[in-house]
Amino acid sequence: MRLPDRVTGLFLVGLGAAAAYGGWLLPPVPGQPVGPNVFPLVIGTGLALCGLAIAFGIGHTFEEEEEIIPIEGGQAQAPKGKLYGLRALLPPALLLFYVAAADRLGFIITAGLIVYATATALGARWRLSLPLAALAPIGIHLIFSKLLRVPLPTGLLPMPW
Amino acid sequence: MLNTLIEAFGLISTWEVIIAMLAASVYGLVIGSLPGLSATMATALLVPVTFYLSPIAAIATIVAASSMAIFSGDIPGALLRIPGTPASAAYADEAYAMTRKGEAELALGAGVWFSAVGGIAGTLSLMILAPPLAEIALSFSTFEYFWLAFLGLMCATLVARSSPVKAIAGMFIGLLVSCVGIENPGGVPRFTFGITDLFGGIEPIPALVGVFAVAQVMRAMLTPEPPSIPRRKFGSIMAGQWKLTKKYHWQMTRGNIIGIIIGVLPGAGADMAAWVSYAMSKRFSKEPEKFGTGHVEGLVEAGASNNASIASGWVPSLLFGIPGDTIAAIAIGVLYMKGLNPGPTLFTEKASSMYAIYLMFIIANLLMIPLGIVMIRLASHVLRAPRSSVMPVIMLCCAVGSFAIGNNMFGVVTVATFGIIGYVMEENGYPVAAMVLGIVMGTMVEQAFVTSLIKSDGSILPFFERPISAILASMAIGAMIWPVLVWLWRRLKPASPAPVASGG
Repeated sequence: MRLPDRVTGLFLVGLGAAAAYGGWLLPPVPGQPVGPNVFPLVIGTGLALCGLAIAFGIGHTFEEEEEIIPIEGGQAQAPKGKLYGLRALLPPALLLFYVAAADRLGFIITAGLIVYATATALGARWRLSLPLAALAPIGIHLIFSKLLRVPLPTGLLPMPW
Repeated sequence: MLNTLIEAFGLISTWEVIIAMLAASVYGLVIGSLPGLSATMATALLVPVTFYLSPIAAIATIVAASSMAIFSGDIPGALLRIPGTPASAAYADEAYAMTRKGEAELALGAGVWFSAVGGIAGTLSLMILAPPLAEIALSFSTFEYFWLAFLGLMCATLVARSSPVKAIAGMFIGLLVSCVGIENPGGVPRFTFGITDLFGGIEPIPALVGVFAVAQVMRAMLTPEPPSIPRRKFGSIMAGQWKLTKKYHWQMTRGNIIGIIIGVLPGAGADMAAWVSYAMSKRFSKEPEKFGTGHVEGLVEAGASNNASIASGWVPSLLFGIPGDTIAAIAIGVLYMKGLNPGPTLFTEKASSMYAIYLMFIIANLLMIPLGIVMIRLASHVLRAPRSSVMPVIMLCCAVGSFAIGNNMFGVVTVATFGIIGYVMEENGYPVAAMVLGIVMGTMVEQAFVTSLIKSDGSILPFFERPISAILASMAIGAMIWPVLVWLWRRLKPASPAPVASGG
């Protein structure tokens, strides 16, 4: 997901301009010189200017190249395909899955699926990920639902407490 | 004074507070020691739990967990050369070199002992600095508040170990996020795009959890698992610490002072304190050639420094609601939630609660010594927990915790979104801490700015007329144009052998 500075900079110019324009369109408070429109206008302009500066490479010399600490013991390098980078999107996708499914399936089942998927993606074997998927949701349910009284969705599999 | 102190003792000597503090300490030690899980993340994941505690117990958990996590980040730094928290990164190499020389006990002992000393020094600074500053702050008008907040945001961008332009951009993004909602001077829906859930604005806490926790899980998906730690027996951990204290008392004091100053500066936190102190220690050492080969001097100074900054980071938070670092930013959220709204009047109206906070800091730092020793001895077991079993639980805590904040599924969506934003920003060199401060301080900055503009009838001049606001203004503007000046300077002097930046 490393993008060239030119791309992120121009994106920020667009975002800033949109924010400034959006702020400009907001209705002012009658009889007052400043209202809800001023702040987005200032912020948007600033952001757009920063974006321009980044696109032109100002301040790039300050950036420190990331120090990669060599791991001793020679880790096996995972094969990196083109789609390898997309793995990073799994956690937010699972959270959105939780939003979509928790009410219907209930907390325990949804959480179990999330735990199983995350553990497997991180390289756990089924002997670790299956018990974890069974136990972790129950533990979290105990703490949040029983102790802290957060109304977690019951769904298909209600807990006995 | 004495009455307030006794009252404060009464506040903290309840079972709820004691249990909350102990549990949060253990939690902080474990999270801090696991590589990749930072102290900020530990604190952010704790917030949903604090909802259900009394105000003092809630603050106790934050205080205990953050102090412990900053110390225990030293443990994997020394044993694996992988810092447990970014605050330990400055001296992880040094500590690991000591372990290789067979001085692991000394390195870890120095970590726990000088962390505790630093934490207590930071607490003392909080006790001494805050009340007189509160007196001054009482006479502040919105002009001063605006410049102070602005200066805070600028400091956050100056100290970022990245391009200042990108840091400023990050800050603007944060401020833009805080614009969303109807809580603005006109009370009109702003940037809500017709989504009802956005009317209330974007809650800072789910955003923080997303940026610090979800983004970390995302990063874990692409990085190889850190190696597990070899089993080893430790000798006496505290042996020799007193000798070190006497030998390096000046370094320790300097580390404390630097940590306190950096902590008070808005936006600069424990990791910055550790970097600066380690560099200072090397610069002024009598034997700088020993640095990097397993020399304890830098550890003493930086270890004292990062913990000192934790407590002093609460000074601007309690006084102005301007967070001293990202942990304090979370603490401010909790303070508001619990009716302890930050401001100078806190020190007169809720004096006993303030004393309770001081006491809790001191207790947490004393507690750090025994618990820290136990943690070091157990470290080889805790650090054996594979990442694939820790990260899924973190994911569940993110989902449930962000839901619990408003009993609203939209919180979970916020967490996921900010996970992506945080990940992309960090990957491209935009410091997320600056954005976080923007989100937390946005409403306050806007309020101070717009109120000041209304008072001045749209004119800019009154922003500079009061003496304190003029000073703050010049500092803030100086901080803002500094990177441009440096850039121009380098442009105008092309002959100098400046390090050529490699593209990408």
